[in-house]
Amino acid sequence: MTWPDHTSYAPLWCKSAYSFLEGASHPDELIEEAHRLGLRSLALTDRDGVYGIVRAYKKALELGVQLIIGADVSIEDGTNIILLAANRGGYGNLCGLLSKGRLRSSKGMSRVTWDEICGHAEGLIALWGGNRSLLIGEHTAHSVTSNLCDAFGDRLYALLARHRVAAEENQELRLREHIKRYGLKTVAGMEVLYHTPARRDLQDVLTCIRQGVTLSTAGRLIRPNNEHSLRTPHGFGTLFEDDTEAIERTEIIAEQCCFSLAEINYRYPSERLPSGRTSRDWLRELTFAGARERCDGTISDDVRNQLEKELNLIHDLEYEGYFLTMYEVVRFCRQESIMCQGRGSAANSAVCYCLGITAVDPVRMGLLFERFLSRERAEPPDIDLDIEHSRREEVIQHVYTKYGRGYAAMVANFIRYRARSAIRDVGKVLGLPATSLDRIARMLSHYEFPSKETARQAGFNPENPAHTNLFRLAREIEDFPRHLSIHPGGFLLGHERIDTLVPVENATMPDRTVIQWDKEDVEDLGLFKVDLLGLGALNVVHRTFDLISEHTDKHIALTDIPADDKSTFKMIQQGDTVGVFQIESRAQMAMLPRLLPKNYYDLVIEVSIVRPGPITGGMVHPYLRRRNGEEDVDYPHPSLEPILKKTLGIPLFQEQVMQLAVVAADYTPGEADQLRRDMAAWRKCGRIERHRERLISRMTAKGIERKFAERVFEQIRGFGEYGFPESHAASFALIAYATAWLKCHYPASYLCAMLNAQPMGFYSPSTLVEDTKRHGVTVLPVDVRHSEWQCSLKLATGSGEGFAVRMGLRYVKGFREHVAESVVTARQAGTYISIHDFVVRTKLAEGDAVRLADAGAFQGFNERRDALWSALGIVANRGEELNLGDAEPVTNFDPLNPLEEIDWDYTFTSHSTRGHPLTTLRKQLRKRGLPDADALRNMKNGSRVRYAGLVICRQRPGTAKGVVFMTLEDETGFVNIVIWEKVFKRYELLGKTQSFLGVTGKLQSESGVVHLVAEKLWEPDVSLDATETRSRDFH
Amino acid sequence: MERTACLEVNALPLQMLLRSHPEWLALPTVVVDHDKPQGVIQWANEKAHAMRILPGMRYAAGLAIARDLRGGVVDDAEIDAAVELVKRRLWSFSPRIELSDREPGVFWLDASGLQHIYPCLNSWTRQIRADLLDVGLHSSIAVGFTRFGSYAAAKAVSTSIVFLSPEKERAHVDDVPMDRLALESYFRDALYKLGVRTVGAFIRLPPSGIRKRFGVEAEALHQLARGEGWTPLEPVSIDEPVECITEIEWPERDLERLLDLVAKSLQSILAKLSERHERLKTIRLTLRLDDGTELNEEVSPAAPTWDAQQVLTLLRLRIETLAISAGVVEFELRAVGIRYYHQQQALFQQAPLQNIEAAEKAFARIRAALGHDAVLVARLRDGHLPEARYTWEPLETLRIPNPSTVACRPLVRRLYTPPVALPPCDRHEPDGWLVAGVSEGPVEEVIGPQKITGGWWVREVSRAYHYVRTRSGRWLWIYYDHYRRRWYLHGELQ
Repeated sequence: MTWPDHTSYAPLWCKSAYSFLEGASHPDELIEEAHRLGLRSLALTDRDGVYGIVRAYKKALELGVQLIIGADVSIEDGTNIILLAANRGGYGNLCGLLSKGRLRSSKGMSRVTWDEICGHAEGLIALWGGNRSLLIGEHTAHSVTSNLCDAFGDRLYALLARHRVAAEENQELRLREHIKRYGLKTVAGMEVLYHTPARRDLQDVLTCIRQGVTLSTAGRLIRPNNEHSLRTPHGFGTLFEDDTEAIERTEIIAEQCCFSLAEINYRYPSERLPSGRTSRDWLRELTFAGARERCDGTISDDVRNQLEKELNLIHDLEYEGYFLTMYEVVRFCRQESIMCQGRGSAANSAVCYCLGITAVDPVRMGLLFERFLSRERAEPPDIDLDIEHSRREEVIQHVYTKYGRGYAAMVANFIRYRARSAIRDVGKVLGLPATSLDRIARMLSHYEFPSKETARQAGFNPENPAHTNLFRLAREIEDFPRHLSIHPGGFLLGHERIDTLVPVENATMPDRTVIQWDKEDVEDLGLFKVDLLGLGALNVVHRTFDLISEHTDKHIALTDIPADDKSTFKMIQQGDTVGVFQIESRAQMAMLPRLLPKNYYDLVIEVSIVRPGPITGGMVHPYLRRRNGEEDVDYPHPSLEPILKKTLGIPLFQEQVMQLAVVAADYTPGEADQLRRDMAAWRKCGRIERHRERLISRMTAKGIERKFAERVFEQIRGFGEYGFPESHAASFALIAYATAWLKCHYPASYLCAMLNAQPMGFYSPSTLVEDTKRHGVTVLPVDVRHSEWQCSLKLATGSGEGFAVRMGLRYVKGFREHVAESVVTARQAGTYISIHDFVVRTKLAEGDAVRLADAGAFQGFNERRDALWSALGIVANRGEELNLGDAEPVTNFDPLNPLEEIDWDYTFTSHSTRGHPLTTLRKQLRKRGLPDADALRNMKNGSRVRYAGLVICRQRPGTAKGVVFMTLEDETGFVNIVIWEKVFKRYELLGKTQSFLGVTGKLQSESGVVHLVAEKLWEPDVSLDATETRSRDFH
Repeated sequence: MERTACLEVNALPLQMLLRSHPEWLALPTVVVDHDKPQGVIQWANEKAHAMRILPGMRYAAGLAIARDLRGGVVDDAEIDAAVELVKRRLWSFSPRIELSDREPGVFWLDASGLQHIYPCLNSWTRQIRADLLDVGLHSSIAVGFTRFGSYAAAKAVSTSIVFLSPEKERAHVDDVPMDRLALESYFRDALYKLGVRTVGAFIRLPPSGIRKRFGVEAEALHQLARGEGWTPLEPVSIDEPVECITEIEWPERDLERLLDLVAKSLQSILAKLSERHERLKTIRLTLRLDDGTELNEEVSPAAPTWDAQQVLTLLRLRIETLAISAGVVEFELRAVGIRYYHQQQALFQQAPLQNIEAAEKAFARIRAALGHDAVLVARLRDGHLPEARYTWEPLETLRIPNPSTVACRPLVRRLYTPPVALPPCDRHEPDGWLVAGVSEGPVEEVIGPQKITGGWWVREVSRAYHYVRTRSGRWLWIYYDHYRRRWYLHGELQ
């Protein structure tokens, strides 16, 4: 028998990985395969969405394949229909229709009505068929069919779907009956779920994950065969050899679908302008008004020239609306007293500075505007606005209200499979024990797949077929999107309705809507994104200002903070920066006494230098030597001097690295931009490697030493893991300085604000409390007679700043705010005089009373155990009219000893104001010859020391080649421990689990920085009860 | 004086887990309540304990400490089986055994009067522990005078202890840490916080205060710990099957005479069951023949019964099917009963049109005559392969069918199980293919293929099904198996 030979056809029903947990190929894989098979076009029709079309579009553009955009739309009756966009109007209708379906449904679902389908028919082609379709049913609703025929006319096709499944024979019979009755045309098609049959196993796995079943119990939930791959034209022709017209129609339809994403004509929303002014006028007016304010009324020529230059470029690129929007958001924050600050490359713009979006003067700092905006790059500006985190939602809702739900939506973030999640989900589907899967998953980092050795260690046998399947499929599923999440703060705003541009759906968070594209998609299409990010430090600053103004007559704002406060810098130079934004980590604190920051720009460097980029690039020590005059400042090539001058010839910032590429390696602006993107896409390992040879060879050709060139590349790679541009550092350094100043001059208020802003920052509340206590501030325990929900200030002579901090009821574990309110409200009628009185007036549940007793909040009345005994009977006692103590004999419990008191504090409030756990043990420790942190600091460099303290931080930075850093704490301060990989391996269990740890080692004391290099870890032999502190581990 | 002993099979579920995974013996191992990372550790072995992986922690937290931590869930059924095993072995040492309904692995034994059988109670405890060790179970045991005292002591010792006087028991128990007892975590933690660490400290708390704060169960425990509120042992009954062995003087070959003898034995068995308030559920008949062979047959009436005639009829039907090669010299009847309660409400139910009871009786007779698997029912299953879309299961309960109406009847195919291998030929069907032999003529029409592929995670299957019509008009359902490279006949259209 001979088959008709078709040279091409158009696959019109293809689902990619963006039909979450259904399609088993990425959009670009489908396009590549279509290209390989010689297909001219391909329709991407993901389930109820267009999530993958930007990626497909890029690949299609590259390979010259026509991408048809469509979707497999779910109807409320449980059936479906495939819609393809014939033109821009049709695409808008498709987005609008999908938005309707999504917005009325719970997350991950979509349902539209037949009326809505008909109402959005213009510009769309409908393919009706497939095993979920109403058209193959025994009874097709006549009215639905008639309405569809009316709405779509000759753009309605009956989809003849064949996958060599037995049930399709009958379905096709019924379909043909309907075709005859309604005069429809057939079009051939098959539901493509993967580009190659090799992905069938993965498709089965994805289906099982989606359905929450294992392969052995999936039954008919998984497809019966592997007939869902892209077919060759010949194969497709064979499948439909009895209906060649249906094949030909696939190409006719493809020709009718002439819409391309290039047609999206995006316009940024215009701000409401004062009458008679254009956006250009209004931006200019606001900018210069701001400039006058910033420059005390006189604008220098430098500033004026810079502003003119920027405003002209902004006008040429028609970006005025974007700047006005950012200005409006900042203005709203000011009006509502919400602290905010722009950061990122926006700090390079004088216009942003004058509009109050950023607080860094780029002219004074010498920051390059081109890093922010350039005519050559012609890509939208990217302004990140940091907003105090507790009030960010207000700003987000303001944006929704101001622009309207139809014109503003947040950018999506696709949660993708990584090694760990892949192992867990695939293993579950294969029916492997979850405990075994967790064991192996924990041995992996997010991106690392298990080696054979790791697998064996975890109890897996790489020769076992089930385990082989696990590792094979886990690798295949890597990078597949699992579900849609929300970008931390990215907004897409549009002049026209967003849902004509991209479908909008509900996010998990209430009152938030999200588009179906992520940040990369938005960037690739050149759309504008506004980033509104939450920052805890701003919240702390705001709270501190409020506390100061509430308890004193001082009203401080950020601008009132003196720029060169000596005592603040002295504190910083000593590394006394627990709780200070950005410079509080162990590594930062160790760097401060070496760098000795004396001014704001030193802080900018400090913020940038303790980063993977400079560390892996080996830039830290040369910079410090040059700064201390121990090494000459020289430049590898004269052309690099302007770039590296301010950092003494050593590249420390991302901008410098990019400029190096341009100047030293002759990168074009396009190549430099690609470099920046590859650095940002650090997760996709390998992308940065393609620059290696190019950079090094070009630099050496210019006469730059190969050693330096290689170091520059290493730094670029380091930046790839965590890039830190100067403009970011400049913005962060401002907040770092402000928080340091507050800590230095208002330690009580600052502690109180930090405690009330938790969770945030690097240290646990207990460490913050202990540190502030060491600075002379009195911290009072939780007490039902005095505490509010939040921590509060109380006048106290002898305490730092003249105030003591009273811990709030929020620190009682498990206690809820509304219960605390009832405690505070009942107290307004008069202070509580006994537990009995408290119980009667607050009517607290037993659990809450027990929590308070455990936390020591009744210690004003009773010993803790006695209070607990009373609290335990609270409900029963109420029934007996509160005959506490009368109805039963008095029971005497042993009072807690001081160590137990502190232990209970830590257990039930995560901190103790009564003392540091080691205070009570100090005598014992001294007897054993163990010094405290204070004594250790005064010992000689090279001394052999034995020390014991509580572990508050464990870190194993990726840049440190297996070295573990720990911070131990006692009642006098911190001790930094360095543990080499070999030593840590020997004492791994102790190092990982022991909260009270003994260390023997050699003291390294240099420039005021003290480290104890561990040789041995041990368990201190003291009678210590189970006092646990929460440490920050391995971040 | 009455003696009470308490035996604890230490961490029974953990012992069960390690029995099924002996390769984990050298590794830190835990039993978790659910097979999930967030599953709570219920028991931890010594290795895990040494690494501070303790009961109450999440499995994930344990893994953070020991990367090679092994964990698993032990089914309730496994634990029940182990408890059953221990119970049966303990019956050899004491006729009166009580099982703890809260703690699997805790048993109370009546140790009174054993001095006449064993040299001393220490010897008795040693033998019990050794006996359990024979089946791989480690245990501890305490012999005392009170239920609580022996329990607390058994939880606190690692081997065994025998108290010589109630005073010594009291003194010992006062020092037993409270956290050794299986208390509700809320109660245990509250006592710990109050500084009540031992049984002695616990009993010093005021009883009314205990009830008020921790409820009546805690008060009852307090009462027991004080040595008050004695309750007798509630031994489990020995639910052995009822059996009767009859020796026949002369080898019996006559069926009627044999059935007469069986009927007499059956009467005595039914009488014994009646004494136990049970009805006969199944009966096993073992015939021992003169030539040394043994025949075992089992029959079940349609419903538990005392009706000897009904049972006898079923036995007759079964015996009639047997080929008895020699005279019967001995037979044994072994009956399993079931407690039977009248369901009064059944009287008020409307009788269905079909007589289910009669049908059940008829099926019982068919089973008796043809064997248990003679009455089967088809159940639909959720699979792709034709043979995986249904299964035959023994009919347990007969229900009145309630078929749904189908507008379009599917093709009715009679399936061959297993599929019939066709003579080897090319993968692509040849012209003039004589698939069903010369008499049926060549294949004249082919519809297909319909493909079924899958099962890659266990055994890969790839079949291409076709309907073929032979010249004689038969429609056959055949497939090509890509892995076996052969055509098979799987069914025929009706």
